[in-house]
Amino acid sequence: MKDYSHQFRTCETTGLKIHLPAQKLIWVNAVSAVVFLLVGAVMAILIALTRWPAVHLLPQHLFYRFITAHGMNMLVFWIVFFEMAGLIFGASAVLKTRFPAIKFAWFNWILMIIGALLVNYAIFVQGVDVMFTAYPPLKGTPLYYLGIILFAVGALFYSFQFFFAVGIAKKEGWHQGTLPLFTFGMLVAAIIAVFTLLEGAVTFVPTFLWSVGIIPESWMLDSTALYRMHFWAFGHSAQQINLAAMVAIWYLLGTLTVGAKPVNQKLSRIAFLLYIIAINLGSIHHLLVDPGLTSTYKIVNTTYLAFAAVIGSLIHAISIPAAIETAQRKKGLTNGLFEWLTKGPWSDPGWSGMIISFVIFGFIGGVTGILMSTEQLNVLHHNNLRVPGHFHATVVGGTALAFMAVAYYIIPLVLQRKLISKTLAKIQPYIFGLGILMVIMGMTFAGLMGVPRRHWNIELPGIFGGADAMLAIMGVGAIIAFIGLLIFIGIAVLSVFFGEKIPSKMEVHNPPFPVKEGVSDRKTATT
Amino acid sequence: MSHDDNKMHAPGTFVLALIFLLWFIVIYFVQWFALWDNWPIG
Repeated sequence: MKDYSHQFRTCETTGLKIHLPAQKLIWVNAVSAVVFLLVGAVMAILIALTRWPAVHLLPQHLFYRFITAHGMNMLVFWIVFFEMAGLIFGASAVLKTRFPAIKFAWFNWILMIIGALLVNYAIFVQGVDVMFTAYPPLKGTPLYYLGIILFAVGALFYSFQFFFAVGIAKKEGWHQGTLPLFTFGMLVAAIIAVFTLLEGAVTFVPTFLWSVGIIPESWMLDSTALYRMHFWAFGHSAQQINLAAMVAIWYLLGTLTVGAKPVNQKLSRIAFLLYIIAINLGSIHHLLVDPGLTSTYKIVNTTYLAFAAVIGSLIHAISIPAAIETAQRKKGLTNGLFEWLTKGPWSDPGWSGMIISFVIFGFIGGVTGILMSTEQLNVLHHNNLRVPGHFHATVVGGTALAFMAVAYYIIPLVLQRKLISKTLAKIQPYIFGLGILMVIMGMTFAGLMGVPRRHWNIELPGIFGGADAMLAIMGVGAIIAFIGLLIFIGIAVLSVFFGEKIPSKMEVHNPPFPVKEGVSDRKTATT
Repeated sequence: MSHDDNKMHAPGTFVLALIFLLWFIVIYFVQWFALWDNWPIG
């Protein structure tokens, strides 16, 4: 076996052995994520200021173009690049192992970056206004679909590489026993990613062929119902990757912030497995008003199967706070029922980001999601602003904020740079959390008043006057959230490039469990 | 690490869960009452 023992440094805070080639990959994926976050954020504020009737900023054609750009850059590029950084971190640093096939990993990153750039080129230069869903007969340019396919192939290869890395860790003796819970959560995310990305191929390869003229228009128009089903098997499953990654990050942050250890690892792992088994089928809730599917099919998928996944989330909703409370009580915070919470490290952005993300995701994102998955209630929300109200609670208030919170640890511990401003970092989760909460509530209540989503001008019908106050709350919230986002991006980018370097020891690191005949399977139970 | 170190001790989380359960029960029955009030049978 090739000698990798000189490619490691030791993190002096956590004791993790960081494989340096993997560290560079984490760096490049995380920086790519933040760059696309910035693009998506600029689109976000422009869209929000257009939907605020008192401002109504953008002209019609730019509104739909920027919605397309916002959806792709936020829901796909920012999130998935960051998840790739998470996969590499989970498969290398957490397992104290080497990350295999480094050149292939760089190739995958290049595929993804070319794909993301092509999509942005198609939107901004070629004027693709198909929005995130791109339902036929809306047709993008070939470069738009090609960009998505290249990006998805790169991410798919990364997922396979993650499986390979976990196998290498075991085979070469870098890690033995059960996987740490964070890596296990990322494994679940990667498994869901494979399903998601294959569905992406089923969706976007035919549309690409349609865009270049190989598949006839009539065939595509006859297949719109099929497209919708496969699109959501891709589109919503992509959000389940976020869900699994976010929950894994919550467990990790519990450990990093207060030293929490899962109180029942087996139960937490079962909860993760429920996501794999049940949650993708719940994607059918996007099609609850689709006349092509039977009620039985819709109800089985969106209630019984989706609820199995909800049980998983409820298990996490108990086990993560319980782990944190147990750890805090061991430190002596035992007064009353809630001293462990009130005296938490609220000036640590990792902690505050985790708690705010937990609350927004669980109490607003999760609850509104379940309501929308109920066939009888779905029609109340269908295609109105309550839908983006829901998914801004899950993907932005939940996932994106959790990713920001963990970034405040990743930058010093993995990327070896001190944060340029701890003061700004302390207040950033609160600013962003408040802003996005106002956006979510404004959208949700405007939606319940009937305001449609993705609509440039709701003044035309003249029937939504009462919703103006809600849309104003959304607009003001968007400005606050945008400021919070800019603070995060500023801290992250400036720290990574100009932050004070944190020295680290280069240490020879060999597999601690060399594989020999008769070696017992030692359990390592860590997060 | 001793067995006791691993033991869960989270009464605050348990009480929080009970509060949410209670809230759910209240909302559930209020909704049924509202439905019954708005949609009489017979």
